[in-house]
Amino acid sequence: MLSPLYLVAAALAASFTLGLLNPKRSGAAYAITLVTLAFMAWVPAGWLWGFMAEGAQPVEIYTAGALPPYAINLRMGLAEAAMTLLITLTGLLSALYLKESLIKLGHRGMAVLMVALMAFCGIVLTRDLFNLFVFFELAAISTAGLILLSEDERALSAGFKYLIVSQLVSTFLLIGILFAYHASGTLNLDTMASARLPHGSAPSFALAFFLMFIALVTELKPFPANGWALDIYESAHPAYSALFSAAAATASLYAVDKLLLVGGPGWYPMATGIGITTFLAANLFALPQGNDRRLLGYSSLAQIGLILVVLGQRDLLGEGTPFIAFGLLVSHAVAKAGLYWLSGLVGGRSLTDWAALRGRPLLVFAFISFVAMLTSLPPFPGFYAKWELVRVLAGEGRLALLALILIGALVEAGYLFRWFGYMLKREAPAEAVNGEPHQVVPVYVAVLAGWVLGYFWGELSGVGLGHHNLLLSLPLAFALGFLLLDWLPAWVKNTLAITGMVAFFFLTYAEYDPLRLIFALIFLIGGAITLLASYDAHGRRIGFYPAAMLMYAGMVMLVRANDSFEFFAAWELLTLGSYFLILRGKHSEPHALSYILFSLGGAFLILAGFALAAGGAAQFPITALGQVAPAVAPWVFLLLATGFMTKTAAIGLHIWLPGAHAEAETDVSPMVSGILLKAGLFGLFVLLMAMGKQRLYGVELTHVLLWVAAFTALLGNLMAVFQEDAKRLLAYSSIGQMGYALFGLALMNHLGWLMALMFVINHYIYKSMLFLSVGGVAKRTGTREMYRMGGLIRLMPLSFIAVLIGIIAISGVPPLSGFGGRWIFYNAILASDYRLPMVILFLAGPVAFLYLFRLIHSIFLGQLKDELRRVKEAPFWIALPQMLYVGLLLAFALAPGLALRRVDTYLNLFFPEGGLHWEGFEITSDYGYWNPVAIMIVVAVIFVSLFAWLLFVNRRAQKVKQFNIVFSAERPFRPETTHFAWNFFAPYRKALGFLVQPYATTFWGALTDFLHTAGDLARRLYDGNGQSYALHFLAFVVIVFGVGV
Amino acid sequence: MIHLAMATGFLLILIGFYGAVSNRNILRMIVAFTIADSGVNLVIVAIGYMPGRTAPILDATVKAGYAAARIIDPVPQALVLTAIVIGVGVTALMLAYAYKLYEKKRSLDIAKFTELRG
Repeated sequence: MLSPLYLVAAALAASFTLGLLNPKRSGAAYAITLVTLAFMAWVPAGWLWGFMAEGAQPVEIYTAGALPPYAINLRMGLAEAAMTLLITLTGLLSALYLKESLIKLGHRGMAVLMVALMAFCGIVLTRDLFNLFVFFELAAISTAGLILLSEDERALSAGFKYLIVSQLVSTFLLIGILFAYHASGTLNLDTMASARLPHGSAPSFALAFFLMFIALVTELKPFPANGWALDIYESAHPAYSALFSAAAATASLYAVDKLLLVGGPGWYPMATGIGITTFLAANLFALPQGNDRRLLGYSSLAQIGLILVVLGQRDLLGEGTPFIAFGLLVSHAVAKAGLYWLSGLVGGRSLTDWAALRGRPLLVFAFISFVAMLTSLPPFPGFYAKWELVRVLAGEGRLALLALILIGALVEAGYLFRWFGYMLKREAPAEAVNGEPHQVVPVYVAVLAGWVLGYFWGELSGVGLGHHNLLLSLPLAFALGFLLLDWLPAWVKNTLAITGMVAFFFLTYAEYDPLRLIFALIFLIGGAITLLASYDAHGRRIGFYPAAMLMYAGMVMLVRANDSFEFFAAWELLTLGSYFLILRGKHSEPHALSYILFSLGGAFLILAGFALAAGGAAQFPITALGQVAPAVAPWVFLLLATGFMTKTAAIGLHIWLPGAHAEAETDVSPMVSGILLKAGLFGLFVLLMAMGKQRLYGVELTHVLLWVAAFTALLGNLMAVFQEDAKRLLAYSSIGQMGYALFGLALMNHLGWLMALMFVINHYIYKSMLFLSVGGVAKRTGTREMYRMGGLIRLMPLSFIAVLIGIIAISGVPPLSGFGGRWIFYNAILASDYRLPMVILFLAGPVAFLYLFRLIHSIFLGQLKDELRRVKEAPFWIALPQMLYVGLLLAFALAPGLALRRVDTYLNLFFPEGGLHWEGFEITSDYGYWNPVAIMIVVAVIFVSLFAWLLFVNRRAQKVKQFNIVFSAERPFRPETTHFAWNFFAPYRKALGFLVQPYATTFWGALTDFLHTAGDLARRLYDGNGQSYALHFLAFVVIVFGVGV
Repeated sequence: MIHLAMATGFLLILIGFYGAVSNRNILRMIVAFTIADSGVNLVIVAIGYMPGRTAPILDATVKAGYAAARIIDPVPQALVLTAIVIGVGVTALMLAYAYKLYEKKRSLDIAKFTELRG
């Protein structure tokens, strides 16, 4: 292992060598620079390997032949090695990226770059305060020098503003250091921490410490003293911004950390306060930001603020601090450097200009990997760090801080995912991406590093906390494997996916209890059946399979999860996968965004709920939810239930669903509706199984759920009635159906749960089927508006049959399985005593008839439109699964016992009373019996007789043309308004329309508008004037001093 | 004496800061910062001063053995040299910036360089 002094020596030697070189030989100078930087990265890499693999001990490097405190000493330990490696690697890759620009600038630019990196490393290594000051000044001078070399003219003023602030900072720092020296008699960080202060000098030391602390913290760009940093991020060459964001921030953070160890726990609250304020403010201000680099700048400030919070929570986090702080730091550094490098490939500076990347799938993958790293999604290091941070904060009761962190993180996810949506969906600018190899390679290295670090953090969390490494779980690995196979044609990948899912089910089916088996069946086998429809797609379908399989992997992992960590990781994975799937729809950009935001919000509630329940324990089995302390149990219940209900789209949290499900691709809609919604129900099952009834302030929470469920069913159905768009109609209908299922669960009795499970199965079958038929019709007719269709019964008979069977099943009339659901439901009601919500739920029933009738009437019955005369039946692969579903529905209708009998027995564990009695085809409850086969025969006989009678009566009926009932001499401005199928239920709308006013949409819209406006107003604080920035700094000092003291 | 030096130092710093935020001319701002720098240096030297002792130079009058009790603290004096050097570097860089900024807009008014904001 090479002495860390080489980090300093190599940079200095190379810089001076460059000075001696003939200025015209830029190429040679560039080669020397690259070699030096590679060497500088090699030094800490060797140390890191030594510490990690060979068990080396940290070493002190003494200088000037004397021991500290008489001479400066440096330290190389695990943290230092990791940080200097991060710094030097970023430097090396940035230098590679900067090839043209550095060669043009000549050797001076290269020398400044090397000195900057040396200074950052020095800040990390030194244990001497004054030496720290010197390295900071070196860093400031070289940073300003680099900015001066940027091509953007505006960078000049940014650099000068930076110098103004850094003058003020260095004044504070220097005076602070000297007074601290005066009070403690040493400049050495280690001895200063342990120095016994002479009597009476403690207050003056505190003041000195404050000066040093505030100066170093300002290097972290805290709110509001950070306008200068934003200007640099926006105007400097992106490779420099990558350096400032990743390397400089790393160094400054470590400096603050070292200083905090000197100051002790008394200063932690101040660090926390500054950190959280910065985190929230920067994320808020980023919301209305349109310039990509400035946006990244805001995000950088926020991330660094968050890490400062972690440092400030050291008293709680203790030994776990590095795991969390480094997890967040490497995620930030790798992602931010990568994003800045990417921004250099994009021609325009507006966020929508990033659509240019769309032609390069690898770069798109890079982008989303970076976004996932920044938003702390699995399997990246930030995810493990987030989990751990929340666990400890909740365990120790710092709930306010926890809430603020989660709110800030949600806002950050909002603007980052919005940006990702722009990239995939907005019109690509004419100017394509001009990626030279030396510019693209650093980006790929960053992506690779991110994934490797994710694996590494998984291992660390396995060693320290006993969690599974997510990247090693088979379903996720299988899903990620499709990233490597994306070059294959779609049908090959589809076959692989189906085989994999079916195989996994048969490998594992013995491991599930009866309840989980039903969900596993729907997720795996059901998913495979739905995937049959995907054979209809041609070409490669880049990006579809990794996303779809990520979603399925998440769902499988959810069913298989034993502890809260696995459960939550699976939850986030399935959320992320389904988001990518939904985003694939042609017009789904805004809907996918609202989906991911609601889902992440819900996920954060679940995270907080689990953390609260665990009470600080590292391992928390799901079943332990039943033993949560009574004081927090109802809150845990509330958080988890609300989190799961964002996924089932309970009323108020439902606004993401219609757009997301309706705008998705034809074969995606059944996946996200028929299958994905069950994940939320599974969560609720698990929650209620473990926690049962909970009371909060005397209110029984399951009772509240009952009301929510009843209103969800009623309003969901009512909104479905007034849709013109067939897929939207189905989407709203799902909201209503989930209301029924939730209602059954909230009844908290045997039959209620059985009914919920019946809805789980039924809804999967008929909603998948209906989405496929309607999707097939929409594909053939080119529209989803029902009044534009009509009379398709002869042209698309298979689709008609599917829809007919589907609506009979949904409406719950005999003889199909929907009736079975109703029958159990009525029995469950008789067994419980909540009358009022039941009335509301009853009202929802007939409402469903209205929209179901409309579905079949407007699409398939009536007269055929002229322009649709040549429409063909839906493609084979879309029709095939529908027919399978028809078969499944009939089978389930005839023999529900196949699926339900074992579950019925299993539910006896929770509710021994009120089970069903199964004998042959007959099912008996306490209140009556049900024989599906007999009912089927009776209904068939009645139907056939009536149908024959109808044919006989109508044999001479006269047919009427559609439009000529209103058009007399003129064509109306909007002819569809005169069509009988337009606004089909106008009278009902007149009567009940007030119930379906978009109150929830208005509320959430107003909330986001408010955040945007607030951010937009507040960011005017940064008026661009260097003197204002100086005043901001002084105000910051005064405020922190005032609040802190 | 020591208090006077220290007070003067802090006064210079305040004057410098005030000058830096109240003058819109970039050159004047730079001058203000050098004034603040001088103030800092004065404060540092004052911190190291101990009444009744001599300069930290070992010669015939101050023998090495007794030095610890007779000389003032040499560390701040050594540090102030470094601080001065760094101050010169920063000032030079600021002047380079001033030159470039003037080249760009033919103006030295800091309020005219606000194209980056928000």
